[in-house]
Amino acid sequence: MFERRLYYHIDWAMVMAILALCALGVVMINSTTADPTRATSRMYITQLYAIVLGLGAMVFTLTLDYRTFTDKSHLIYAGLLMLLVYVMFFGMVQMGARRWIPLRAFNLQPSEFAKVGVALVLAKFFGENRGSPSWVDLAVGGVLTAIPLGLIAKEPDLGTAVTLVPVFLAVAYLAGMRLRILGVLLLCSVLAAPIAWKFALKDYQKSRVTTFLDPSQDAKGAGYQQIQARITVGSGGLTGKGFKQGTQGQLRFLPVAHNDFIFSVLAEEQGFAGVLVALGLYLFVILRALEAARLAKDRLGSYLVLGVLASFTFQVVYNITMSAGLAPVKGLTLPLMSYGGSSMIATLAGFGLVLNVRMRRFTN
Amino acid sequence: MSVSLPIEDRRRLTVRLSVLQYTIIVLFSVLVVAFWVLQVVQHAKYEEMAENNHQRTLALRAPRGIVFDRNLHALVENRQSYSISIVREHTKDLNRTVRLLAAVLGVDEAGVRLIVDRHRREPTYRPITIIQDATLAQVAAIRARRLDFELPDVVVEEVPTRQYPETMGAHLFGYVGEVNDAQVSDEGGLKSGDIVGQSGIEKTYNAKLMGEDGAKRVVVNSVGREIRTLEEDQPTEGQRLQLTVDYDVQRAIEEGFDRLGFNGAAVVLDPSNGDVLGFTSRPAYDPNAFAAGIDRATWASLTSDEDLPLQDRAIQGRYSPGSTFKMAVATAALMEGVITPDFKVHCVGGATFYGRPFKCWKKGGHGTVDLRHAIEQSCNVYFYTIGNMTGIDKIHKWATLLGLGEKSGIDLPSEVQGLVPSPEWKQQYRREKWYAGETVSVAIGQGSVSVTPVSMAVYAATLANGGTRVTPHLLKAVDDGNGWKPVPRPGAKSQAALDPDKLQAIRDGLFLVVNGAGTGHNAQIKGYDVSGKTGTAQVISNQGKEKAGKTEKDLRDNGWFVFFAPRDKPEIAGVVFLEHGVHGSNAALIAHHLMDTFFAKKEGRPLPGKPEFKPNLVP
Repeated sequence: MFERRLYYHIDWAMVMAILALCALGVVMINSTTADPTRATSRMYITQLYAIVLGLGAMVFTLTLDYRTFTDKSHLIYAGLLMLLVYVMFFGMVQMGARRWIPLRAFNLQPSEFAKVGVALVLAKFFGENRGSPSWVDLAVGGVLTAIPLGLIAKEPDLGTAVTLVPVFLAVAYLAGMRLRILGVLLLCSVLAAPIAWKFALKDYQKSRVTTFLDPSQDAKGAGYQQIQARITVGSGGLTGKGFKQGTQGQLRFLPVAHNDFIFSVLAEEQGFAGVLVALGLYLFVILRALEAARLAKDRLGSYLVLGVLASFTFQVVYNITMSAGLAPVKGLTLPLMSYGGSSMIATLAGFGLVLNVRMRRFTN
Repeated sequence: MSVSLPIEDRRRLTVRLSVLQYTIIVLFSVLVVAFWVLQVVQHAKYEEMAENNHQRTLALRAPRGIVFDRNLHALVENRQSYSISIVREHTKDLNRTVRLLAAVLGVDEAGVRLIVDRHRREPTYRPITIIQDATLAQVAAIRARRLDFELPDVVVEEVPTRQYPETMGAHLFGYVGEVNDAQVSDEGGLKSGDIVGQSGIEKTYNAKLMGEDGAKRVVVNSVGREIRTLEEDQPTEGQRLQLTVDYDVQRAIEEGFDRLGFNGAAVVLDPSNGDVLGFTSRPAYDPNAFAAGIDRATWASLTSDEDLPLQDRAIQGRYSPGSTFKMAVATAALMEGVITPDFKVHCVGGATFYGRPFKCWKKGGHGTVDLRHAIEQSCNVYFYTIGNMTGIDKIHKWATLLGLGEKSGIDLPSEVQGLVPSPEWKQQYRREKWYAGETVSVAIGQGSVSVTPVSMAVYAATLANGGTRVTPHLLKAVDDGNGWKPVPRPGAKSQAALDPDKLQAIRDGLFLVVNGAGTGHNAQIKGYDVSGKTGTAQVISNQGKEKAGKTEKDLRDNGWFVFFAPRDKPEIAGVVFLEHGVHGSNAALIAHHLMDTFFAKKEGRPLPGKPEFKPNLVP
C-alpha cells in the first residue's frame, strides 16, 4: 500500500514548518505554566505526548490512500455523530460545558475530530458530483454540516461549532458554487443576525460582542480580557520581554494564557520578531496546503485538502486576531500551538490527509 | 477508478484557489500591520499600562523615635499594629467586598460602607483603611481568605504604632494623630496621611521623632497578591530622645495623685539647671487611645468632659497662688531695702488699710512676728504691711524676676502666661487706675495674681539656686543613629541679684514651714532639710460661697505646695498643685513622696513603696 517512492513525495518543508509551530507552542506553554507554586507545571510534557500521538495519527492518515478514507467517510461521519451524541449524555462536565469523554490517559474531545470528519464527508459528497453544485446539493451539504454543528453547539461549544461553517463554505466554493448563491447566503446570515441576537445568543455571548465594540465600558468584566490582551501584545515591543519574562501571562492578567491566549504570550515574550516568525510559519503551511489542493490528482483530493484547511485557517486567523484584542473573546484555540491533546491529534491527522493528497498526486 | 480533471474544471479550481490564496495573504498582511501598530507604534503606551498592571508602590511607615528617661528607661515605644484596608483598584464588586469583609471581621456592615463612602472620591489605588489596630484574629481571618482569592482587594498592612507602656505623663508626652490639612500646608515635608505629634513633646520634637517613610516596589499578580519585591527603600526610624525626666520621680508623682484622687499638676526641676525631673497634669488621658486613630466616642468623651482632661494644667492652667506668693513680696521688700529680716509686725488677727479691714487667717492673731516667723506661720497681716510699704511696682518687678507672671519657656507647645498685676497692666487692659488697696490683696497672692504651675516651679528653683531664673526643659540628648549627642541647655531667662544673707532669711522661714510650727510638715524628711510653702487659695470668696448656697460645683479651695531640698544646697525644687485640694498641706504629701523617692534613688536606697497617706479634707 505504501510504495517506497511515495516517501520522496512527502512535503517535508510543510512537515518541518508544522513541527516548528508545535515546538514554539511547547516552549510557550512551558513559559506560561512553569509556576513552581502550581501543580500544573508539567503541562508542556503532556503537550509533547499529544504531539507524539498526533504524529502517529498523521502517519496513519498518510499511509492509507486518502480515497480509502473518503470511501469510508460515511462510516467515519456516523461514528462521529454517535460520539457527539454520547458526549451529550455521558460526557464529562468542565467549566460548565459537556465536551469531553474521559479516557484513561487523557480526555477525548470529539468535536475536534468532527472538523476532519466533516471535511471527509463533504469532499466525498461534492467530489462525486460534476459541475456546479445545485441548490439540492448545497442543501444536503448544509445538512451534513449542520447536524454535528448543532450537536457541538449544544454542548455548548459555540467556538468549535462555528469552525465547521468555513469547511462547508470552502468546499462548496471550490466545487463551483455560484457566487450569486454565496451572496445570497451572506445576505441571509446578515438578516438572520438580529434574530440570532434576540433568540439564540446567551447573555454572556451578547456582552462579549458589545464589549468588543467598546471594551472600556466594562473594563472589569468582559472587556477585561480584551484590554489585557492588547496590553500583553503591545507591551512586548519589537523584541519581547524574553522567555518566562512576560508579566501579563506569568502573573495571570490574561486568563488561560497557555490555551486561548498563547499567541498573546508569544507576542509579549518574543515581541514583534516572534510574531513575524509564527505568522510566517502559519502562512507558509497554509499556502503549501493550497498548493497541495491545486496539485491534487482529482477533485476529491482538492476538496479534502481545502476542507481540512478551511477550519484550520479560520481558527488561526480568528485566534490571532483575538490574541491582539481585535476580535471578541471566544474560546477558540490556536491550532498547533495551544495546549490541548484532542486538537493537536485532530489537526495533525488532518495535515496527514493534506500530505497524503499531495504525495499521491501521481498515483492511480 | 479516478479520472483526471476536465480542463474547464481544472481552470475554475485554479482560479478559485488563487482567490483564496490572495485573500489569505491579505489577511496575514493585515495581521502583520495590526501587530506592528500595537507592538511598535503604540509600544510605550502599552508598556506603561503593563507596568501599572503589575507594579505597586507600598509605603513602609517609619517608626517614630523611642523616648527614654534620663537613665535610658524607655518611656514611649512602638509596637506593630495591623490595619485592614480596601484597595478598590481591582475590585469587581465593591458591595460584595464590603459585605464579605464585614462578615469576616465581625463588624457592622453599615459602618464599613460609611467609611468606604467617605473616601469614594479618592484615587482607587489609595487604600481605604477600614480597621486600624486590628486584632490578631481579624488579621488571621483576612489572611486565610486571601489565600482563597476570595478577597483579593483587601490588604493587611503592618504599621508601627506609638505605645505608651505606662499611663503616666500623658500631657508631657502628648499624643500623635493623622496630620490635618492646615499642618500639611504649613509645615514642609508633611504629606496627607502622615502621623504627627499633636501635643506634648510628640509635637515639640515631631521633626526629630518622625523619621522617614520608606517605600517598596512590588510585583503583584492579577489578583493583587505580592509575588516579589523589585526594590525596597527601608524606612529610617525617627531619632531617639533622652529626656531629663526621671522615671521614678515621675512615677512617684503619679502614685501620689492616684492616692489622693485630686486633679491638679506638678512640676519638679533640678534647680541648678532647669532639668525637668517630673511633670504631670491631672486628670490625664490614655495617649494609647490616640496611637492607632482615636474613635469618635472616646474623642467626644474627652472633649466634653467638664474636667478638661486634654488641658495641660501645668502650663495652661492659671490659678491664684495664695500664700505661696508671699516669698515674692518678701524678696521685693528685702532686696529693695524696705525692710530687714528682723522687721517686726504685730498681728491681732486683722488690720485696716485705706479704710478697709483685711483679715488674717488666724482669728486670734500671731502676735509680734519677724520675717522668718511670718513665713513660717504665713501671717497675712505681716505681708499686708510690708506689701503696702513696698508698693506694687517693686512687687511686680521682683515677682517677675523670680519667674512669676511669665512664660517659663519650657519645650512644650501652647504654654500660657500668668499674671502679676502692675498699674501699667491695669491701665492698659482694664482702663482703670491702680488702687493702693489692691496692693494689700496682692501681697498675700490674692486679687488679680494668677500663675501657672510651671512658673511656680521656676519660682521655687530661683529661690533655691539664689536668683537664676532657669528655663525648664525636657530634652537632654538626641540619638540620630550615631550615638547620643547631648543637647545644650537653654540659657537662664534672667539673673536676679539676690543678697545671699537676705535670701537666707526667706529660706529659713521656708525651712520652718516644714520643720517648725508651720503648715508644711507633711513634706518633712529627716536629714534633708526640706523647705517649702503651702498655699491655700479660695476659688470663690466667702460671700460668694454663701450666695451660691448648695451647689453641685466643687467650691473647695485649691492647694499649693512649693518646695526645694535640701535647704542650703538644693538639688530638687518644684510645685504640687491640687485643684480643690482643700489645703496646701495635702499637696505637701505628694511632694514628700516624690522627694523621698528622689533622694532614695540618688543614694541607692530602696525606693519607697506606694504611698498610704490620706488627705485632710477639713477646711
